[in-house]
Amino acid sequence: MSAATHLPALVIVVPLFFAYLMPLFARWREGWSTVTALGVLAFSFAGSLVMAWQVMAYGPFSYQMGNWPPPWGIELYIDYLAVFAALTMTGVGLIILVYASKDLPHELKPHLLGWYYTLYLLLMASMVGMALTNDIFNLFVFVEICAIAACGIISIKGSGECLEAAFKYLVLSALGSGCLLLAIALIYMVTGHLNFTFIAQALPEAMRLYPNNILAALALLLVGIGVKAALFPLHVWLPDAHSSAPSPSSAVLSGLVIKIYAVALLRLLYQVFPASLFEVTPVMTILLWMSTLAIVVGSMFAIVQEDIKKMLAYSSVAQIGYVFLGFALLDVSALMGGILHIFNHAMMKAMLFLAAGAFIYSTGVRKLSDLVGIGRTMPIPTIAFTIGAMAMVGIPLTNGFISKWYLVLGAIHGEQPFFAGVILLSSLLNGIYYLPIVVNAFFSEPHGAVAEPKRLPPQMQVPLAVLGFACLLFGVAPSLIMGLVSRASQALFGL
Amino acid sequence: MTIIEILLRLHQNSYYFFAIILFIIGFHTMLTHNNLIKKIIGMNIMDTAIFLFFVAIGYIRGGRAPILEPGADHLYVNPLPSALILTGIVVAVSITAYALSLIVKIYQHYGTIDAEEIMRLRGGETL
Amino acid sequence: MGMATSFLPVWIVMFPMVMTLVIFYVEHHSEKMRNALAVATSVVTFLSVLVLYPYIMAGSIIEYNMFQLLPNLGISFRVDILGFSLALLSSFVWMLVTIYSIDYMCKEHGCNRYYPVLIFTLASCMGIFMAGDLFTLFVFFELMSLISYVLVVHEESVEALRAGYKYLIMTIIGGLALFFGIIITFELAGSVSLGGPALITETSSLAFFAFISFLIGFGMKAGMFPLHVWLPDAHPVAPSPASALLSGIMLKTGAYGLLRVIFHVFGLELMQQSGWMVILAAVAIITILLGSAVAITQDDLKRRLAYSSVGQMGYILLGMSIMTERALIGDIFHIFSHALMKSTLFLAAGAIILKTGKRSIRELGGIGRQMPFTMTGFTLAALAMIGIPPFNGFLSKWTLSLGALDAGLPFYVLLLLFSSLLSGLYYLPIIIAAFFGPELGAEHEYVKINEAPYKMLIPIAILAVTSLLFGLLPINLPFDLSRMAAKYLLKGDF
Repeated sequence: MSAATHLPALVIVVPLFFAYLMPLFARWREGWSTVTALGVLAFSFAGSLVMAWQVMAYGPFSYQMGNWPPPWGIELYIDYLAVFAALTMTGVGLIILVYASKDLPHELKPHLLGWYYTLYLLLMASMVGMALTNDIFNLFVFVEICAIAACGIISIKGSGECLEAAFKYLVLSALGSGCLLLAIALIYMVTGHLNFTFIAQALPEAMRLYPNNILAALALLLVGIGVKAALFPLHVWLPDAHSSAPSPSSAVLSGLVIKIYAVALLRLLYQVFPASLFEVTPVMTILLWMSTLAIVVGSMFAIVQEDIKKMLAYSSVAQIGYVFLGFALLDVSALMGGILHIFNHAMMKAMLFLAAGAFIYSTGVRKLSDLVGIGRTMPIPTIAFTIGAMAMVGIPLTNGFISKWYLVLGAIHGEQPFFAGVILLSSLLNGIYYLPIVVNAFFSEPHGAVAEPKRLPPQMQVPLAVLGFACLLFGVAPSLIMGLVSRASQALFGL
Repeated sequence: MTIIEILLRLHQNSYYFFAIILFIIGFHTMLTHNNLIKKIIGMNIMDTAIFLFFVAIGYIRGGRAPILEPGADHLYVNPLPSALILTGIVVAVSITAYALSLIVKIYQHYGTIDAEEIMRLRGGETL
Repeated sequence: MGMATSFLPVWIVMFPMVMTLVIFYVEHHSEKMRNALAVATSVVTFLSVLVLYPYIMAGSIIEYNMFQLLPNLGISFRVDILGFSLALLSSFVWMLVTIYSIDYMCKEHGCNRYYPVLIFTLASCMGIFMAGDLFTLFVFFELMSLISYVLVVHEESVEALRAGYKYLIMTIIGGLALFFGIIITFELAGSVSLGGPALITETSSLAFFAFISFLIGFGMKAGMFPLHVWLPDAHPVAPSPASALLSGIMLKTGAYGLLRVIFHVFGLELMQQSGWMVILAAVAIITILLGSAVAITQDDLKRRLAYSSVGQMGYILLGMSIMTERALIGDIFHIFSHALMKSTLFLAAGAIILKTGKRSIRELGGIGRQMPFTMTGFTLAALAMIGIPPFNGFLSKWTLSLGALDAGLPFYVLLLLFSSLLSGLYYLPIIIAAFFGPELGAEHEYVKINEAPYKMLIPIAILAVTSLLFGLLPINLPFDLSRMAAKYLLKGDF
């Protein structure tokens, strides 16, 4: 029983602990590190499931680290949004790790696999921590761990371009962290608290006395988290970073890492800052336009790309725009769409990147014009890619349709039909760059390396199949996750 | 507000003022200088500025060092920001270490640590 | 009406879908099995739809809720007289086309792709006609459009791929427009079910947006100007049996969707009050004139038939905009007639192209003497298209004209006459050249061309005869069904 009460902390601490043990395992026996890493992530996922069940059955609860009560201790507040984010991160992270165990020995130097698992587990722990925490400085610490781990899993590949991309990511990430820390300082200065709940209580009074501080903090937060979440125009690090990284890293980065920052911003904007602030400052309008530009510009850049992973990276820029659009429309349905899109896009983008990785693993081909006919020689990854493409466009019966449905419903309900038009336009743009790939894959003759691909090991095929099945499952039966999402968005709206 | 009042205000909050100036200097260095090492230095300047800001928050005029003496009732300086910046310094150091190692490897690959030169060598696209 | 009948719509949709997988599995073993299974599936589907006939004629509506996706949104089925009629028509034509395909496709590549896709498209069409709410309609509509892409690019030639790309982009645009319309309806009405009173009850700018979106979405599929641009490229490049289905049945799904939108979403009164139908009327007139006029200039046989389809769909759109009872009867009957006529034409054209290898009309001189049965079938259908009595084409145009006069729009009668004249201008030369023209050949040698094989002739014959029958006989099943459907829609009591 005592283990279960400490579950929130364990879900974060166990991966952290084993992250440090990974290189030891790798030194002793190669196979052990993989099994341990998978076991630890499975534990985290199971823990998140248990917490999700508890939250859905009994309501949100909080956990105090070391039994120090807030505001002196660090509190973890497990509510609907937190558990949703934790589930997404650990679930998709687990699937990607299964894939990675076979793909990485191919892409990295042989002795680096254990170190990769270290970075991966650190990344997972920090993301779950960011989801669960209720303390703003704890959030900062986890953000930093995440930043280093994320840059690490890019630069571990060792090639020139990924080093440079990792450095660019690191520099911009540090910039964002600096802004974030300064924002924390400004907030602490006027409220004297670091705990979200207490800050939220103290802010209305502080806003009356020191409005400029709060505004500056808000602006810095937006920039800081915007850089990390790759919101246009702060996305410049993303295309290089995600395309040059090894495929499992790209999947994690595009699917999970940029989303958790969006979750953090969501919490800050909706739960910490008072609603009256948004009548005074045009924060939501700024977010609306940034996300609209992200959607349109990201898609346009994706259309002209020749390299498959760069195209997928620009697509991520556009998709994170959807998530922020959901936040900024200030309507319950739109917020549900945005939050659901975090989950859906994680699955879709992970599947797309893993399929691209499968193509590269078996044929070594990255250019889109060379990937013709690959549907005939490698059916399973191509079918997975097709399902992902359909989901991105928003064909009904896929999960992408459900999040689009809610976003457009929210836009119309919130009396801003222009943004509904933007979302529909982006579906068309998505179709323009995804569907030709699918068509060329199935309806042309393969040549060159594509005609004789290397055999894909089952550890790489199974995650693709699982993710494809999940995309269709959550498209046909979204009620599985919608209960959590709708309660989360209603809680955020204070309903 | 007249100039005198502005200057007076600045004098009162001089720590914050200089912290912000340092922050802007660091920010600017990170973004505009081409030399990779200078970017890291800029990052450190920026982080140091924030630490200065934090410490200044904690300072209470007339306060003593925050060491409790049982029974005595004194005014203490806020110890929390110092703890926060200790964490922050560790974070900054680790990022600096990682970044510097990345620079070493980049130098091995590209033979230069000038960002524009590297972009040119990569034939890469911006944006 | 027990559980079994309620389940029948689900069976009609799911059975072909399941058989697609079976065919997919079987085709690696035996081609004959594959062909036999495909034909058997289409026959069973047709018979299953026929089973519903007594219930529908008795006036009952068959409803079945399958599952719920989101609150108030799910997959449900609802078979009323209109849906039943069109499902019956489609499955009938599909059955004949599948039989035809066996001989047509026997020398083609990619048959392993063709047959499963053919059957799956049948399933989606059935799903469209038996949908119980707009969302189900939308899901099956998208499925049908996307899967029939495979039929369009079957040849894999450069033009086929280009035509397919245009088709795909326009399908997505249409789908997005439909999505927008459905969401606005959901927002305004709280549900998108087709079994209930009219969903949108007052005109507002949002409702107008919904109308335009539905018009774009369904009109794109129906070949409405200016969204018809994919049609003249996509229908000719597909294999002829697929062209027959694309032109004959799949265009009609767009018209069906528009009918449902007008009567179930907006309701007759709202449409008459708001006067939005004038947009549909204007577009329909342009479509008729454009389709007929451009068809005259086409030399490729299948392209001429494709443009003819555009023009004929214009009649259907025009009839919808008039909204009197007789216009509606003529409208729905024309859906029937055109499906039968156009399928005949495309199947006959396919036979000619298969046997002679020529597609250009200039080169088809004298073909009537060497392939008499095929050309007779073509002639019967062409005469029906022009609107010569006693064919069914004449009956539908007559009823449409009467309906236009009922509404006090004599201009439309003139329009119908003029476009019939244009149709004559592009069909008669083919017939005359085929039967009475000299043979054109490079060496002016007599090249023996055999008549088309039985399995291709019989469907052509059946379809051509229906064109004659359903204009001539007093017992006219499609006309009765059209009359009942029109009355049902106009009553507005769902």
